[in-house]
Amino acid sequence: MSSGDYDVIVIGAGPGGYVAAIRAAQLGLRTAVIERAHLGGICLNWGCIPTKALLRSAEIAHLVAEGESFGIHAGKARIDIEAVVARSRSVARELNTGVGFLLKKNGVDVIWGSAKLLGSGEIEVSAAARSSRPDPEPSKDALGPGRYKAKHIIVATGARPRVLPGLEPDGDRIWTYFEAMLPPSLPKSLLIAGSGAIGIEFASFYHALGVEVTVVELLDQILPAEDAEIAALARKLFEKDGIRILTGAKVSEVKRGKGGITASVVDASGKSEQIAAERLISAVGVVGNIDGLGLESVGVKTERGLIVADGLARTNVAGIYAIGDVAGAPMLAHKAEHEGVICVEAIKGLDVHGLDKLRVPGCTYSRPQIASVGLTEQRAKAEGRDIRVGRFPFRANGKALALGERDGMVKTIFDAGTGELIGAHMIGAEVTELIQGFVIAMQLEATEEDLMRTVFPHPTLSEMMGESTLAAYGKALHIPPAAPPAGKVRT
Amino acid sequence: MSVAASERIRISPLARRLAKQAGLTLEALAGSGPHGRIVKRDIEAAIEGGAKPSPSESAAPTHREVAVASPPAALADDKILALYDKGSYELLPHDKMRRVIAERLTLAKQTIPHFYLSMDCRIDELMRARERMNAASPADGPRAYKLSVNDFIIKAMALALQEVPAANATWTEAGMLRHKYSDVGVAVAIDGGLFTPVIRHAEVKSLSEISNEMRDLADRARKRRLAPHEYQGGTTSISNLGMYGIKTFDAVINPPHATILAVGAAERRPVVSGDALVPATVMSVTLSCDHRVVDGAIGAALLGAFRAFVEDPVRMLV
Repeated sequence: MSSGDYDVIVIGAGPGGYVAAIRAAQLGLRTAVIERAHLGGICLNWGCIPTKALLRSAEIAHLVAEGESFGIHAGKARIDIEAVVARSRSVARELNTGVGFLLKKNGVDVIWGSAKLLGSGEIEVSAAARSSRPDPEPSKDALGPGRYKAKHIIVATGARPRVLPGLEPDGDRIWTYFEAMLPPSLPKSLLIAGSGAIGIEFASFYHALGVEVTVVELLDQILPAEDAEIAALARKLFEKDGIRILTGAKVSEVKRGKGGITASVVDASGKSEQIAAERLISAVGVVGNIDGLGLESVGVKTERGLIVADGLARTNVAGIYAIGDVAGAPMLAHKAEHEGVICVEAIKGLDVHGLDKLRVPGCTYSRPQIASVGLTEQRAKAEGRDIRVGRFPFRANGKALALGERDGMVKTIFDAGTGELIGAHMIGAEVTELIQGFVIAMQLEATEEDLMRTVFPHPTLSEMMGESTLAAYGKALHIPPAAPPAGKVRT
Repeated sequence: MSVAASERIRISPLARRLAKQAGLTLEALAGSGPHGRIVKRDIEAAIEGGAKPSPSESAAPTHREVAVASPPAALADDKILALYDKGSYELLPHDKMRRVIAERLTLAKQTIPHFYLSMDCRIDELMRARERMNAASPADGPRAYKLSVNDFIIKAMALALQEVPAANATWTEAGMLRHKYSDVGVAVAIDGGLFTPVIRHAEVKSLSEISNEMRDLADRARKRRLAPHEYQGGTTSISNLGMYGIKTFDAVINPPHATILAVGAAERRPVVSGDALVPATVMSVTLSCDHRVVDGAIGAALLGAFRAFVEDPVRMLV
């Protein structure tokens, strides 16, 4: 091509890809990013961000409904779902524009289209099929189809909803997260298959707006990635709130009718139940976007639908890298961002280390919120580690009571031998904003002693983080001792 | 205070605790975290790399205990401070490296009966050989080298220990440790102290191998990026102050070694050859010996063997 070759071309402008591109440009590398649908990727356009906007509306609906307990009589809330969705879309649009602006100001070229690897650093970009979704128009500065060449190619193509046989989305009765984010109207009832973060967030959102929600999970616990104790407490709180939850159960057959669907849900014992709902959301996980990229033709190794890459994002083919969802779990935007930065810094020759995935936090923005980092208690025990576990309940925290948020828990797990914080699991109000404290502690390799000496401001929810640490060592101040002290001095 | 700040060891709380539990000293652990911070993975790597608990840590868990246990007690701080006017000095806190040096060398002088043997070595041949060898080095690439006089000294000491195995030994209460290999420690001055990285099996290594390994070790020692296994152990050591113009000096033995060779400057001196005075390049060396291990005659034999190698460096090739 006439304008010369690139040092780095990133395929996919999601949170991993556009961040990698910006970092590459900061490091003085000539950089381009290829995108076929939307700057900012799923996260920003159809994932993390717009769902947080929806959940904010749900939270306000909840507070209005609870208003009387705070002495505020606002009457019955009327939900204008069109306005709720419109606000969510406007937030996504604002950020999408922001990404385009950042890329431009950093001198990153945007190439619009679908990419295919040709080998020897060459990429063929063809015009992308327009999706049926209301995605923003590509920017006018974007380069078009053609052949491009780069010394380093970073594949950051992300993932898409997994489709199970019998649960094929039809855009009408069976939704994926795309449609679930754009409800034309509120259904009366909703069946959600899958209880990962996506399924649970939609359950929480729709339930708060008055929809009758049933969640079906194949495994024995909801939020299968979370600590079992936290997941059990989450389930209890969701059920208390009125969400119906079936675990160890499978949506085996779905009949589409005029007014909705009827699903056969089979439990572990083989007992079948017919559940009728107006819509069904299929939230049974995501799969990597590895098709049509020419990965096979250039010999990039893939495994179970994902690209195999090492800690510095290098694939088995020199000059080709993979970051984010397409390179494997945990499939989270912040993990993708860090992999992108590490990948590019390694390309530049900086002294970097692979991401420690045990220090990648995960958040679910339902009500109650769930946030965690590190090992669950079950996994720590399965690994044979000698651990100390601390727990502190929301109901013993002054700020939680003042907020009217008495349900929740902060759980910490320490290595008994070294005092290393190896896991933190939280459920309750605002825990998604609290978890970073434990993530920083882990990153700086704090021990229990450092956490105990950290002064948490009073009155805040964060005080529970200190108390949970104390509790792990039998020294919590604001809950009674587990066993009578019997004169024993706890040093 | 700026001195103290720059010498602070950057280490995470967890890494500090893990190092303590493993009995590792921190001075030369390579820090791979931000700004060279020592983090968990560095300790794990050091343990995996075969780092042994440092003798000072295992024998004496804390510095305080050592100070208390070492008779005779040094002059107390307040007595020392009383001798000087306030304002006439600045008090710089010790860093950990300074404390370890103080402890190890006090231990050496208090427990090792030192004696010293000196000799002059004519090294004109060595200087010529060095010049010819360096001229033959490839300009760059992995096989390039630039030999220093010290590289020859390391090799000569290693070979001399093989010729006089009785001197390649360590005193223990249980018995004499007779070492099979010549692991030669070389003192490297760094900002705020020193390290003695060890060239292992120096008797079988070529001069260029020794030279390149030494350059790497010295370089990383200055950056405090040595792993403990790179500076612990060893069977002898060399301290060379020739580059500072020192003619002769006596070095303190670095436990658990039995000897240390103090090397002075190579200089042109008049030498009596037959009945004539001739100019020659001469280097004076002094061997400190642990008399528990090395008696006078054995020390003399070692030093003689060393001189034979440096005066006729072709013999090192055999």
